[in-house]
Formats: sequence, structure tokens, C-alpha cells
Amino acid sequence: MSARANPSPPATSAGAPAGLLSRLRGEAHVSRFELRIAAALVLAATLPLVGALVLADRVAAENLALGLDPRVVQRLQSVPALYGDLFQARKQLYAAQAQELARGLPRGAAAAAAYLAAALPHTPRLRRVTWTSADGAVLAEEEATRSRGEGEWRDVPARVELPGGGTLECVFAIEAQYFADLAESRDLAEGVKGLAALRSEIRRSYVRAFGALLVGWALAAAVLGIWLARRTTRRVSDLVTAVQRLAGGDLLVQVDPGSDADEVSGLARAFNEMVREVRESRDRIVYLEKISGWQEVARRLAHEIKNPLTPMQLAFQQLQARFEQGGAGHPAFGKLLGDVGEIVREEIGTLERLVNEFSGFAKLPDVRTEPADLADFLEEFLHQSPQLAAEAAVEVSRAPGPFPVALDRTLMRRVLANLCANAVEASRPGRAALHLAVAREPGRAVLTVADEGPGVDPSLRDRIFDPYFTTKAGTGTGLGLAIVKKIVLQHGGEIEVGDRPGGGAAFTLRFPLLPG
Amino acid sequence: MARKKAGAALLGLLLVGAGARPPEDGSAAIKVRVVKGRTEAAVDLSDIFGPDRQREFGNGLDNVVEIYTSVVPAGGGPPASLHGRIVEILFDVWEETYAVSVKDPEHPAGRRLVLRDFAALRAFLSDQKGLDLGPVEALPDAFRVEVRVEVNPISREQLQRTREYIAAASGSRQSGSRSVLGAVASFLLREPNAGSDVHLLRSPPLTRAGIAPP
Repeated sequence: MSARANPSPPATSAGAPAGLLSRLRGEAHVSRFELRIAAALVLAATLPLVGALVLADRVAAENLALGLDPRVVQRLQSVPALYGDLFQARKQLYAAQAQELARGLPRGAAAAAAYLAAALPHTPRLRRVTWTSADGAVLAEEEATRSRGEGEWRDVPARVELPGGGTLECVFAIEAQYFADLAESRDLAEGVKGLAALRSEIRRSYVRAFGALLVGWALAAAVLGIWLARRTTRRVSDLVTAVQRLAGGDLLVQVDPGSDADEVSGLARAFNEMVREVRESRDRIVYLEKISGWQEVARRLAHEIKNPLTPMQLAFQQLQARFEQGGAGHPAFGKLLGDVGEIVREEIGTLERLVNEFSGFAKLPDVRTEPADLADFLEEFLHQSPQLAAEAAVEVSRAPGPFPVALDRTLMRRVLANLCANAVEASRPGRAALHLAVAREPGRAVLTVADEGPGVDPSLRDRIFDPYFTTKAGTGTGLGLAIVKKIVLQHGGEIEVGDRPGGGAAFTLRFPLLPG
Repeated sequence: MARKKAGAALLGLLLVGAGARPPEDGSAAIKVRVVKGRTEAAVDLSDIFGPDRQREFGNGLDNVVEIYTSVVPAGGGPPASLHGRIVEILFDVWEETYAVSVKDPEHPAGRRLVLRDFAALRAFLSDQKGLDLGPVEALPDAFRVEVRVEVNPISREQLQRTREYIAAASGSRQSGSRSVLGAVASFLLREPNAGSDVHLLRSPPLTRAGIAPP
């Protein structure tokens, strides 16, 4: 629906909030109605936020309480210490095994090597053993040849000081995975420690984040809602503006109903129809009043002209008769009298025809309608007007379906006869081609009388139905189309003139369809 | 320069004033002397780092001790000078030793120590020496030395780690995707805080003339 709202209302005091709001509203072309709808949408979108925020706070608190159970945090933080205990136990075990090996170590280097080589396979995780003298010389050294097994391993030395001096160093293998696990556990525990320490801040930041996201969503929803609402409210505002213009007397105002099939569009269409009907009624009344005035003029003119015509005619006839009785001696005068008599009779005849037309126009009877089918009436007219077929090539088209209208058959015959005669006349000197059609529009039956003549100049179309306006130089009285229009208007119909596609004039007559 | 000083003063005020317990009497713990024209403080923190801290510092996790020393004019106002020292402690559960890193203005890149047991660690933490408070001429006529000790405060690093932790939704961490809610919450989690284990020691009133006779 096109916006035809008036410009913004004048702003009041610049500093006052109401004035500022009003000015902003005006600059944005936002009506009060739109503001209210938008406010309702924003309120509806934001009110649930309060409850949602309270819930979010509770959810965040409960989730943090679940995830950061002090017992869990404590246990997680104690994991490195557990690894410490594990490592300590391993080291003690390796130390004990090294002590055990040292206790049975023979004194001789060869025997010691054999002893150590024999001990290696039986000592779990022992990878290498070295006997070093007090001065640092290696007396015996053996290394395990068996595979360490899958995964990475880390060497762990265990040294035993021998009673007679020297050292027995046993290198055991420990799973490197322990250290990686320890690092990961420590990392995790550190993270949880941070979470626990920042618990209340995290809760607050989650609530704020939730609130920010909700506000974002609410804003997006409000913008979308306002946009959707504005599409409706703007059309309602346009309707209000149009009604105001109509009340101000603007009968040409129309609103665009848009492409939607909703109630507002229906209202807009009904408004347009109402305005059109009001405008047509007004035009009809104005025209009929104008015609009525012209009819009175015609009646007086006919009366005033007709009255002297008969005495004039009688007087001239008397003059002519007297001359014929005794004027034989004046042949020249007799000839002059004959010529003048011819002129006088001709002019009096013209005046009589004019008077008759004026009189006919003045005494145009009121329309007395009866139900009829417009298409049937057209066929009946053509049947009763055989001379038309002689004067013109007539083509008739009829849309399917009945066309029930209220017609005064006599007057409507006059209408059709007049329009057809005009068409024939307009096509002279050639043979006229008449196109008569009956069709249907919503609520109306449409009768078209078209020809292939020169058409009607667009600049004359507004005046062509005015009484005494004619385009036929010297031959017309300009009453025919006025009578046609009056009769059509009295039927509740309307008439307009336009171009026929392909050339020529087209007179379109619309009549309200009868119900049923 | 003036701006830097003002910033440092403000930082000092925040550090000294925020979140601490009521000041403890540091008359016996805080010693101030002049070495080569510079004011040096030493503080005995043995009351703070008692034997009961062994379990805490020996838990195999990173522990942080932050020690801020400031010179506060007796008449009030922003600190005249400030010294900060950050000690990071990690108990190596395999080696059973304490790996200590000390960062202060004298060692901005950090000084590393390995202490063999908790007694050594406690001795190190308790005896904080060489806290440089600037040239003696910069001291106010009358002042106090205040020492603020924060044990395991929420540091910027820890805050950043926590932010990264909550930015990745727990359910999608494997896929590497980020949760919008978590990302926003992470963004909004901005301010570190001192935590609850904060101690403030205050020396008795001192004068410049008293510590550095003309």
C-alpha cells in the first residue's frame, strides 16, 4: 500500500521530550499506531528476558555446582600427589631391587658379569646394570636384550653404594606415559582450579553472556516484528490519511491495496470502491442537475422560437397568396418572392426541427426500468433496426453468461440508435464498421459501441457529453450524446468514450448487474 | 614519565587497598635499610608461610606467591615507590624437589631455583630480601612500608587459561568448534582478582632521616 501520509506534524518545544519524540516520529514517518504496535512487540520480546535471565542464573549456578563439586575439585587436585606416591613407590621398589642385586654381587669381575647377566631377565624393568669401582672404573656392565614392550619408556637410575667402595647403578624403565598423564592431569587440575577460583565471576559472565545473546535475539525479533507490523500499520495509516483527504472533499483519492489478501487489503479495496461510487454518484448528480438546467433552457427556447414561427409562416403564405392573385404584372418581383419564399420555408423548417429537438430534449421522459438481459436487448435492437445492417457492417460479440440489468427499453433503444447513428456518420463517406459487444466486469454489465472512424480527439472527450456541444459543423444540435448520457446515468450506469484498439471511437456503457 | 608514575601510583593504591585483610603489624617483620644510596626492604613472612603450607605447595600444581612492597607517605597519598616480586612454585613429584621461578624488576626474565624440600622452600619464601624501593632521596620524610602478599591470586595467565577453557564448549572441544555462549561468556570474563589468601603487613612510621642519617 503506497504511503500517502501527510508530512510530519510540527514539532513543539525543542527541548521537551514529548516534542523530541514527536519530531523523531515525524522524521521517521512513524504513526502513533505504528509506535504502539512496535512498543507492544518490543515489550513482548523483552519481558520474557527477565524470567529467562533468572533461570539462566540458576542454571549457571547449578551447572557450576555440579561441575565444580568441591570433592571433585579436591580429587582432581590431588592427582599429581597420587602420581607422586606412585613414583615414590616405584623408586622404592627399584631401590630395593638394586639393594637385592648388590647384596648378591660377587667380588670378581667375571663372576659379577655372569651374576648380573643372569639377574637381568629375572628383574622386571631392569634395563642395564653397571658396577663401578670407587675410582670410577667400570668393572662389570650388562644390558637387557629383551624388548621393552610397546610405548615409550624412561630410564630411572637407582644407585647403591657398595660396602667396599664403588657403586652399583641399576637403570630401570618406567612408562613415559605416566609423565604425560601427570602433565595432562596437572593441566586439567590447574584449569579446574582456575574455574573454581573464578566460580562466581564465571557465573556472572555466563549470565551476562546469556543476557547479551537474549537481548540480541530480542532485538532481532523486535526489528523483524516491527518491520512486519509496519507493513500492516503503514497501510492502516495510509487508509486513515485517505479517509481524511476524502473528508476534505478529495474524491480522487485512492489507496493501493497491495498484493496481500488480508483484511487490510480488503478494507483498502472496499474504500477504493466506496470512493469510486461516491465520485460517480456526485458526477451523476452534478451532470443530471446540469442537464436539468439545459432542459429548462431548451424548453423555453423551443417555446419562444415555436410561438412566432406559425404566424411568420402564415404571414408569408398570405403574402405569397395575395401576390399570386394580383401580381402577374411584376414577374421580377414574383421571382424574388419565390426565391425568398424558398429560403423562408427552408429556414422555418430548420427552426421547426430545432424546436422539435429542443422540445424532445426538454420533455425527455423519466426512466422506467424493468429487468432485462443486456445481451438479449442488444440482439432485439439489431433485429428491430434492419436499416443498420444496410448502413454498416455490424459485428456483435457476447461474453458467456447472463447480463441481468434494469432497462427502460424505449430509452435504451434511443441510446443505441443515437450511438450507432453517430458511428455511421463518423465513418462517412465510407461504409461504417460497427463493433457491438456485451461483456461483464465485477458487478457490472458492459456494452461497447465502437466504430472504425477517425475517433474522438482526446481533448474533446471531457466536453463531448455537454449539451449543445457538437463536432458536426452546422448539422448537429449537440443534444444527442447529452441525451444518451442522461439516460445512461438515470439507469445507474456510466458512459465513457475512448479509443477502439485498432482505430476508431469506442463508447463504453456500464450498468449495474441485478442480483441473482 | 609523569603518566607512568601516575599509573604506577594508581596500581599501587589498587594493590595495597583492594581485597586485603586488615593490615597486620609488621613492625617486627619489616626491615628497611639503605644500601649504596638505595632503599631496600626485607620482610619476614614466616608467619604467612607456616609448615601447614606444605600440602598446598607440594600438591604438584603451579602455586604463585606475589609480594608487593610499597612506600606509603605517612600523610597518605599514592605510594612513593613500589616493588613487585612474583614467585612461581611447582613441586616436581618425580624428583621430589621444588622448582621455583622468581620474577622481579631485577630479574624480569625470571630467576630459577631448585629447592630440595619444603623446609628450604619455606625458608626462601619467609626471608624476602633485597626489595628495592628506589633511591633514598625519593623517600618521603615520613612514611610506612607496606607489604602485600597474595597467595595463589587469580593471575592474568590463569584468567586467560580459564577464558580459553570456557570459550570451547565442553561437548565440542574434541571437534575444536566454539560455543557462542561460551565465547561471549569468555569475553565478558575480564578482570583478575586477588583471591582470598591476601595478607597486608605495615611497618611502623619511619622517617627518611631515621633510616639514612645525614
